[in-house]
Amino acid sequence: MNTFEKLAQIDRRIIYLILFIVVAIPFLFKVQISMKPTSDVVEAYEFIDSIPEGSAVIISIDYDASSMPELQPMLEAILRHLFSRNIRVLLMSQWALGLPLGQEAIEQVAEEYDKKYGVDYVVLGYRPGLQAVIINMGRDLPATFDNVDYKNRPLKDMPVMEGIKNYGNIAVIIGLEAGSVGDLWAQFANSRYGVKLILGATAVVAPDLYPYKQAGQVVAILGGLRAAADYETLVKHKGAATYGMASQAFVHFLIIAFIILGNIGYLASRRKRRS
Amino acid sequence: MKREIPLLITFIAGFLIVVALFIPHPPFNKIEETFNSWYIIVAGFTFILGIDSLILHNWEKIRRRSEGWPFALTVILSFFITLIWGIVSGVRTGHIFSTNSTFRNYFYLYIYVPLQATMFAILSFFIASAAYRAFRARTLNATLLLLTASIVMLGRVPLGNVALIPVISIAVLMLLWVLVDELKYVTSPTQRLIYIGIAVVAVVAAFPITKFLYHNLSPVTDWIMNVPQMAAKRGLFIGLALGGIAVSLRIILGIEQSYMS
Amino acid sequence: MYGLTIFMTLLAFRPSPVVNFKVVDNPNDGGGRILITWDYAPDADLSEVDHLELLRIDKPGEGAIVVTRLSTVARQFTDSGLKNGKPYRYFLRVWFKDGSYIDTPISPPVVPKAQWFHTKRIVGLVILVLYGTLLMIFLKKAKRGEELTIRPIAGLQAVDDAVGRSTEMGRPLLFVLGLGTISDLATLAGLAILKRVAMKAAEYETDIIVPCFDPVVMAAAQETVKQGYLEAGRPDLFNEKSVYFLTQDQFGYAAGVDGIIMRQKPGAIFLQGAFFAESLIIAETGHSVGAIQIAGTSSVTQLPFLIAATDYTLIGEEMYAASAYLSRDPNSLATIKAEDWMKVIFIVLILIAVAFETASAITGNKSLSIFPKLFEFN
Repeated sequence: MNTFEKLAQIDRRIIYLILFIVVAIPFLFKVQISMKPTSDVVEAYEFIDSIPEGSAVIISIDYDASSMPELQPMLEAILRHLFSRNIRVLLMSQWALGLPLGQEAIEQVAEEYDKKYGVDYVVLGYRPGLQAVIINMGRDLPATFDNVDYKNRPLKDMPVMEGIKNYGNIAVIIGLEAGSVGDLWAQFANSRYGVKLILGATAVVAPDLYPYKQAGQVVAILGGLRAAADYETLVKHKGAATYGMASQAFVHFLIIAFIILGNIGYLASRRKRRS
Repeated sequence: MKREIPLLITFIAGFLIVVALFIPHPPFNKIEETFNSWYIIVAGFTFILGIDSLILHNWEKIRRRSEGWPFALTVILSFFITLIWGIVSGVRTGHIFSTNSTFRNYFYLYIYVPLQATMFAILSFFIASAAYRAFRARTLNATLLLLTASIVMLGRVPLGNVALIPVISIAVLMLLWVLVDELKYVTSPTQRLIYIGIAVVAVVAAFPITKFLYHNLSPVTDWIMNVPQMAAKRGLFIGLALGGIAVSLRIILGIEQSYMS
Repeated sequence: MYGLTIFMTLLAFRPSPVVNFKVVDNPNDGGGRILITWDYAPDADLSEVDHLELLRIDKPGEGAIVVTRLSTVARQFTDSGLKNGKPYRYFLRVWFKDGSYIDTPISPPVVPKAQWFHTKRIVGLVILVLYGTLLMIFLKKAKRGEELTIRPIAGLQAVDDAVGRSTEMGRPLLFVLGLGTISDLATLAGLAILKRVAMKAAEYETDIIVPCFDPVVMAAAQETVKQGYLEAGRPDLFNEKSVYFLTQDQFGYAAGVDGIIMRQKPGAIFLQGAFFAESLIIAETGHSVGAIQIAGTSSVTQLPFLIAATDYTLIGEEMYAASAYLSRDPNSLATIKAEDWMKVIFIVLILIAVAFETASAITGNKSLSIFPKLFEFN
């Protein structure tokens, strides 16, 4: 076997080691690559920018720890934007184990902007039922959550819930998706009740949501770490996504390099077989 | 009777849900919701079945000291620690995910979250090895897939257009290598001419294509994702929806019974 | 004082930014709801508007009550919790930042009621009736004993070989049903394939391991494997403990299955069901121990991963056809035939719709664009 042919059979452990090094280096040295925000992210940003002050928005945490690296920076950047514009935030979750991640982010960002629980934001919690929850929220939003927040405190005592009856009082729903709940938001919340929708999703899930964007059911789709990094750029607060982007870029280059090497090896061995 | 009664229940439930889709009037508008609630209640009880299976299966391994029994012990211990910690923490603070809950602050944030993230992160290693192994230019279709995937991967990251220059150069060189190689085995003059033609076109077109993609990588990537990718996906979805109706009808009509054996 | 009066009068003449204020019974529902819609005048300066208030008059002569407070982003509101058969009247009050307000005219009375037919689902009904008719035709054909053929599916043909190869290697079989629940069609299709694999496993006397994600699916899988062994005439070989519950956590399940693969080194791995991000984690680990892998899923996003990492992949509906394909039951094959003809009808419809839409786009004639409205479904 000559050198070229060996390229077709690189041991997977060597691939893993090189990949690990390539991901780690940009993180360790905080390498940054500047980029122009994509049009989708700009659309989402401008839409949120056009919401009148004091309006209420819903953020739904439809992911858990495994998708946290992609979606948590997106959530934090969006929260910064909302709180800087004095917009009320109603946080909920369609994934039981996603709620604490949402809480973690909202508490941290609320502190930065001096926002108070119950006045500027509330954590509604998690209710099982997926589309049933979405449909019921369209009928009576507080009742869907049994008129209490996640710790069973009555919602009617909280100024943040003032005047909120159903989707009619919500400026936009921002769903952060790692699975198929985004489809349900589009199919039920938007189709039935006409509420505006922005969906942020992991890079794997985002392509599934584009038909809704094309059909005008979703204002904008934020896809993957790139969108999170772009949003961080727009709110002028660099975070995990911006730093992660360099790693992601290098890994993409590395995978393409491996594909090229594999093909050189393949062509070399094919040539040998033919001769 | 052991078969007929479940089949009848399936038929009635399936038929009612289909009918209810078209009738918004009460009581039909609540049928799906009611059936879903029943399912949630039944599924809740089946958890006992799951826990029973988990504990017995692992206990059996420990008892027999079969290979890897310490793993089984870890499973059982982790299960009870999580359960008891969660209950105690939830009762003491009002909600297991309260900000002052030790379950949230220690177990969830420092054990569960890192474990989940680690498992998901392994995916990137596997994507690299699977891509390396599977993306071989074996046929024309595979080659097209390879090229499209490379463009999308580069288009999704910053500096992708810069990296595109060496990638296209190498691709052209590889194409030339293959063509020169093939020429050795080709005897018909027309075929030789075609091969030489392809080589010339590739060399001549490489520069303008690179230049175009260098300036338009992002829109080209979006186009690939929004048009050809979406078209294929929609075809799959339509097929899945129709196939889904076929399976559902088979189940409702009792033709398909393998799910209850 | 005089100036203020003139100022207030001028304010009163400020045109309402709200136009097209309409109140109707909320269509296609179980009653008790009224839909209120409105637009904003194109030349209206919404930055002057503070908020809107929707008011309702329950009885003529009585005062109005505030239903809700809205921002200018809203263009519709559904009032709920109303009594069927009782008339209600509404109007919108636009509050300006300077503290003044302007009301829209009061709507005529609207009575909420429940409907007996969902008009936006008529196309769905037509498709269902058409499908049912085709199904009846093919079921009749099947009853008459006419032969119904479907094309060979490579992944399903490979099932028997995979079991055989695993037996030769002296390794067990691993069957992964994915993350679906019993109500997922992919899981049901997976169970049909499991039955076939269990039959073959019993025939060749090979062990089969089925770790499950969902307890209900576990119970169904136990029954399926048992039935497979029974039909193969070897109920004595069936071991209930080989079908067990692992965890209901996505990556916990992936880690568990990977552990089984590394320890038991199965000769053949079947990934049949609903898969998400864990698909490649399992498939690559399976590849690393040299197992022959047959995957099948309806999760479109996971198909590229499975195609890259496994030997055979059943793509979406191929998997749904598996039970009919494997059992060769004429009634099941009839449903596949009906499905194929439906597909032909849909392809024709899509082509016609594309032609109409293109014509509408080129000529600018909106009346040609009939299909999007026709196929609206919610």
